[in-house]
Amino acid sequence: MSTANAAAGQSADRGTAQPPTPVSFPPKEIKKQCDGIVTRYPTRMAACLPVLHVAQKHYGGWISPEVEAGVAEYLGVSDSHIRGLLTFYAMFNSKPSGRHEVWVCRTLTCWLRGAVQLRSTALEKAGVEACGVESPDGKFLVKNMECLGLCEEAPAVFIDGQPHVNVTPEKLSELLDACE
Amino acid sequence: MADVKTVFINGVEYPFDAGQTVIQVAHENGLDVPHYCYHPGLSIAGNCRICMVEVEGDAKPQVSCKLECAPPPWVSEPLRIQTESELAKSARAGTMEMLLVNHPLDCPICDQAGECHLQDYSYQLGQGQASSSTAKTKLPKNVAFGEKIVYDAERCIKCTLCVRFCEEVTETNELNLGGRGDEEIVIMSSKGEFETDYSMNIIDICPVGALTSRDFRFKSRLWFMDFADSVCTGCARGCNVITGGRNGSMMRMEPRHNADVNQWWMCDQGRLDYRYVNTPTRIATPRIKTADGVWAAATVDDAILAAAAALKAAGGNVLVDGGCTLEEMHLAQQLAAALGGKATYAAATGEADGFLRVAEQGANAAGAELLGLARATKAGAAAVLVVERDANVPQALRDGADAVVVFATDADHVPASAQVVFPFGSSAERDGLFVNTDGRVQVAQRNPGIGPDNLTPPYELLEEILGELDAGYDWHGRDGIVAAIQAQPAFAKISLPAAQATAEVGATS
Amino acid sequence: MTAKKKAAAKKASTKKASAKKAAAPAKVVRAADGSYPETRILSANFGVKDSWTLPVAKKNGAYKSLEKAIKTMTPAEVIDEVKTSRVRGRGGAGFPTGVKWGFVPTDTDKAKYLVLNADESEPGTFKDRFLMELDPHLVLEGCLLCAYATGLDVIYIYVRGEYPLSIARLEGAIEEAREAGLLGKDILGKKGFNVEAHVHPGAGAYICGEETGMLESLEGKRGHPRIKPPFPAVEGAFGCPTVINNVETLAHVPSIIEHGGAWFGDLGIAPDPDNPRAMGSAGTKLMGLSGDIKTPGCWEFEFGITVRELIEQYGGGALDGRTIKAVIPGGLSMPVLTADELDVPMGFDALVKVGSGLGTATAIVMDDACDMVEACENIAHFFADESCGQCTPCREGCHWMEKIFTRIKAGDGTPADLDLLEHLFVNIEGRTICALADAAVWPLRSILRKFRHEFLAKMPGHADPHAADAKASDAAAPVGAK
Ligand SMILES: Cc1cc2nc3c(=O)[nH]c(=O)nc-3n(C[C@H](O)[C@H](O)[C@H](O)COP(=O)(O)O)c2cc1C
Ligand code: SF4
Ligand code: SF4
Ligand code: SF4
Ligand code: FES
Ligand code: FES
Repeated sequence: MSTANAAAGQSADRGTAQPPTPVSFPPKEIKKQCDGIVTRYPTRMAACLPVLHVAQKHYGGWISPEVEAGVAEYLGVSDSHIRGLLTFYAMFNSKPSGRHEVWVCRTLTCWLRGAVQLRSTALEKAGVEACGVESPDGKFLVKNMECLGLCEEAPAVFIDGQPHVNVTPEKLSELLDACE
Repeated sequence: MADVKTVFINGVEYPFDAGQTVIQVAHENGLDVPHYCYHPGLSIAGNCRICMVEVEGDAKPQVSCKLECAPPPWVSEPLRIQTESELAKSARAGTMEMLLVNHPLDCPICDQAGECHLQDYSYQLGQGQASSSTAKTKLPKNVAFGEKIVYDAERCIKCTLCVRFCEEVTETNELNLGGRGDEEIVIMSSKGEFETDYSMNIIDICPVGALTSRDFRFKSRLWFMDFADSVCTGCARGCNVITGGRNGSMMRMEPRHNADVNQWWMCDQGRLDYRYVNTPTRIATPRIKTADGVWAAATVDDAILAAAAALKAAGGNVLVDGGCTLEEMHLAQQLAAALGGKATYAAATGEADGFLRVAEQGANAAGAELLGLARATKAGAAAVLVVERDANVPQALRDGADAVVVFATDADHVPASAQVVFPFGSSAERDGLFVNTDGRVQVAQRNPGIGPDNLTPPYELLEEILGELDAGYDWHGRDGIVAAIQAQPAFAKISLPAAQATAEVGATS
Repeated sequence: MTAKKKAAAKKASTKKASAKKAAAPAKVVRAADGSYPETRILSANFGVKDSWTLPVAKKNGAYKSLEKAIKTMTPAEVIDEVKTSRVRGRGGAGFPTGVKWGFVPTDTDKAKYLVLNADESEPGTFKDRFLMELDPHLVLEGCLLCAYATGLDVIYIYVRGEYPLSIARLEGAIEEAREAGLLGKDILGKKGFNVEAHVHPGAGAYICGEETGMLESLEGKRGHPRIKPPFPAVEGAFGCPTVINNVETLAHVPSIIEHGGAWFGDLGIAPDPDNPRAMGSAGTKLMGLSGDIKTPGCWEFEFGITVRELIEQYGGGALDGRTIKAVIPGGLSMPVLTADELDVPMGFDALVKVGSGLGTATAIVMDDACDMVEACENIAHFFADESCGQCTPCREGCHWMEKIFTRIKAGDGTPADLDLLEHLFVNIEGRTICALADAAVWPLRSILRKFRHEFLAKMPGHADPHAADAKASDAAAPVGAK
C-alpha cells in the first residue's frame, strides 16, 4: 500500500488556493454504468468505491482534484470525503499513475519467493528510486502492494490490472519491455 | 435481566442513569479519568485508548468512554471498575508512550502548552520508552484550515474530535481523515474555507496543540494570562464564555459549557468580536471639554461633578447600548427619571444562523424590555449616551442624540456634542447581569487583566452622578441595585443572583 | 420470467432434485501407507470445464439444495440444520455459523442484509478465490440459503478489488441467476422470497476484511472498524441487521442442506466434551500452502490432516537442499510453529492448544534460508501498512515494532530492544478496537520467542540478559477464538 502520499493534495496554502473546478460527472461514456451502481445501495455514499473504480479507469488511471470534486458532487459527499477514500485505499491513485501501473507484491510469501528482486527490476525499468512515484517519462507507476492473493503462485505482479504469477526478474523485464 | 442501577468505581458505589458510560459517571463524581477522543457533545469514537480502566474479572482493560455502567444482561451484579489499578495505569501508560513516540517533543514552543492534555497526562504517567532513538514519522505541519485555523499533523493524535464536530454539530463536513495507518492526517475540503461559522470550536476541543487559532497563535503563554467567566455580548444568545487577557489587552474568548444556552460552543464571529476591545482609540480616562473645545483628561471626581452640572442644565433622555448590564440599564432609568426624561436602549438586528446566533444583537435587549425601556428605533435627543459598540449604537443615533454626557469604549464613538466623557469598559471589563434571548439571567464577570487600569465600574459612576443631581437618590452599591431590580413586578418570577455570585447562571424566567 | 419459462425451470429442477441424489461423502481414513486423502465437496467442480457457468453448475447439482430448502423446509429448520452441522466460520475467527444466523432478529421492519466477506486479504490466503473463480454458483447458492434462513433482502458480495476474475465470475453468475429466476422476485416460484445480489468491489485495504471495517467500506467510507457492540446481526450495514459470513463458510451450506447437518457434523474433528471452548472442527476445509515448498496449492480435506502431512504429502516438502524452519498455519496473523511442532492437526482447537490458531488454514512455510529478523520486519511492515490508523496502540505500535526490527536487522539492535518489543506486545494486544493489532502481535511475538537466537546473533558483543529464563518462557499465549 502506498500511504507514502497520504498527505498529497494537502498543502500549507490549501486554505488560500483556488478550489478545483469539478468536472461534470459522470461523463456520458460512463453515465449509465455509474447511475446503475447508485441504484444498488440505500445511500449515495455507498456507491463511492465502485464509482471511483469506474472513474479511475475512465480518466486514465488516476483521480485528479477536478474529478474528485466531480464525483463528490455526483454522490453528494464532500470532496474531502473522496480524498479520504483515495488516500486510504491502495488501489486508488490521486496522482498521475503512468501509462502502465505495476504492482509488485511485497508480503511474506512473495518476499520469500523473490519479491525484493522483482521490485528492484521494476524500479530500474521505470527509472525511479522508490515505489509510488511516476517514472519521469510518464510510462510507469510502480506500487508496492500487500498480498495480492496469488501466493500459491508467488511471486506475483499485476500490470495494468492483469495478474502475472511465478514471475522471475527476467520475465518481469520482458513484460515491462513489452509495454508501450 | 437483572436491574442493576449502580456501579462500583474504585470501591465506591455510584448510581447511574440508563445508557451512561463509566467515564460519565466518573467525571460526574469528580474522578479524573483521562480522555482525548471523548467529548460529551459528540459521538463516541473510542480510538485514542487513553481512558482505559480495569473491569474486575476481565484481563483486558476497557475504554471507559464506551463502557456502559450497565453490566451485560447475563450479569446481575454491578460492574466493579478500577481506574487506578496496576492494569489500568499500565494500560494508559502504554497508550501514552505510543502517542509520544511520534509526537514532537516541543512543548516549549507549542501554543497549547499549559492546556494540552497530552502534556498533562504525560507528566502524570511518565514518558516511558518513547524518548528512545526511534525516528519520528514526518507529517505536514502548518497547514491552513481556512483563514482562522492552522493544523499541525505531527502534533495531531487523530482523535477525530474535529472531524466529528464538523459532521455532527455543524453538519458541514469540511474535515475528513486522509491517509492510513501512522500517516493518517486530518484533511480539509478543497474549498479551503469553512462553511460553518463555528469552526474555531475545533481549536478548543482539540486535546493537543494540533489546531491553533491564527488569531491567538504565539500571542501569549497561558500562565501569564488572567481569565474570567463571562458571557458573549455578540448577540442575545449570550453564550457563556471565558475571557482571557493580559496587561490590559484582551487575548481571546472561549466558550464555557452551559447545557441550556450554548452547550460547549460559540460562533466564530462572537469569538473574534473581542478585538474591538483592544482598539488603539480606547478611552482610558474621563475627559471634560474645555473652553477651547478640546477634551482634556480629568479625574473621576471632577468628571462626575461636571457631568452632574451639565445634566442639570440640559435635562432629558438617556440612551443606552443594548449590551449594557441590567444594573446599568436600571440606573439609566433612574437617571432619566431624575432628568425628567425617558430611558431607551438601542440594539442592532442581524441574522439568525439556525444554531446559536440569533437575530437580536442587543445582548441584554430582553433585560431592557423587562425593565421597561423602550427600544430606540430612530435618532432622538438624549442627554446621556452609553455606547459600548458601534453596531448597536451607530453614528446616526449617536449624533442625533446631541448628548452632553457620553460613556464610550472607543474615542471614535464620541459625538461632538459631548461635554463630559467617561471610559466605558467592554463586556469583558464589567460585572453585571444579562438576560438572554430565552429570558435566562446570566452573570458576566470582570476580567482584571483586560482594559485600562483603575476603570471605575459604570454603575458606580452612574450612582455618583445620580447622587450629585440632588434627586434624592441613595447610594446602593451593586447589591442594592440588584435588590431594587428584583423588587420590580416584572422580576417577580425571576431570581437574580446576588451581585457577588460567581455561579455561571442564574434562574430562568 | 415468463410463466412458461418458469414452469419449464420448475420442471427441470424438480426432475434433477429427485433424479440425482449424490451419495454423501463419507468420513476419510488414512490409508495404510499413512496418506491422507482429499475430500472434494466444496471443490467437487474445480477443474470441470466451464464450471462457473450456470448450465455446467446445474448439471453438477447447483441450486438443488436451495430448491430443497424452499420447498421442504422452514427458515428455522434451515438454521437448525446449520446449527446441527456445527460448521464454524471459515474467515478466521471460527464462530459457529448457525448461532450467528440465530442472532438475526425476525421481528424487524428494517431491511436485512447479507454481506459476504470475499475480501480475502489475509496474506498467504487464496482459498476463497478458488471458490469464486471456479464455482461462483455454489457461493451464490450458499448466500441464497442464508437469505432464506434469515429472511434477508439484499446480498452484497464484498470482493477485494485485486480479484478481477472473481469479480467477473460472480457478476456473471449473478446475471445468469437473475435470468434463471434464482434472484429477484419470488425466487424459484416461492412467493415473497425476494433477494437481490450485488458485487461490491473493495479497493485495496486489508482491514476491510474485518467485518465492521467491511461494513464501513460498503457504506462508502474509510474502512475503520466499529466498536462492538452493537453487533452487525443487530445493527450492521446501513444501520440494519446484517449477516456477515466468509465465502467458504456459506459455500458449505448447500451440501449441509443436501446431506443434512448431522452428516457434516460427523466429518472432521469432534468437539471436546470437557471443554466448552473446543467446539470441534466439523466438515471439510479448503487448505493451502505457499512459501518455501515444492508444490504450493489449495486442496480440500476433512479436518484431521496434520500440518506435516499437508506439507509433505501435498506441498512436496522442502525445496531441494533446504529444510523447513517455521510455518504459520493459517495466513499471516497466527503464531508460528517450528519444524518440531508440525504434527498437529489443522483444526480450530488443536492449533489453539499448541499456542497457534487455524486462521484461514492456508499455511506459509519458511525454510532455513529465511532470516527470521527480516521476516519479522516484513510482517510488521504489513501490519503497519494496513493498520487503519484509528487506535493509538495499533497505529503507532505497529510502526514502532517495524522500526525496531529494521534496527536489529541493520545490526544496531541491543537485547534491550527485545525487551522493548515484549513491552510493546503487551501494550498493543487486547488494547484496540479490532483484532488487527492482536494479529500483528501473534506472529511477531512467537517468532521472537522461538527464534530469539537469530535476533541475538545480530547483536554481537551483547550478552542476552535473559539467557537463563529464555527457555522457560513459553511461546505466544494461546489464541482465543473470538
Ligand atoms: C484484521 C482482520 C482481517 C480479516 N479479514 C478477513 C477476510 O479477509 N475474510 C474473511 O472472511 N474474514 C476476515 N476476517 C474475519 C471477519 O472479521 C469475520 O470474522 C468473518 O468474516 C466472519 O465470517 P465467518 O463467521 O463466516 O468466518 C478478518 C478479521 C480481522 C480482525
Ligand atoms: S486535529 Fe486535534 S481534534 Fe483533530 S484529530 Fe487531530 S488531535 Fe484530534
Ligand atoms: S452566538 Fe451570539 S452570543 Fe454566542 S458566540 Fe455567537 S455572537 Fe456570541
Ligand atoms: S486495531 Fe488497528 S486496524 Fe483495528 S481499528 Fe484499531 S487501528 Fe484500525
Ligand atoms: S504474498 Fe504475494 S500474493 Fe500473497
Ligand atoms: S477517550 Fe476513551 S478511547 Fe479515547
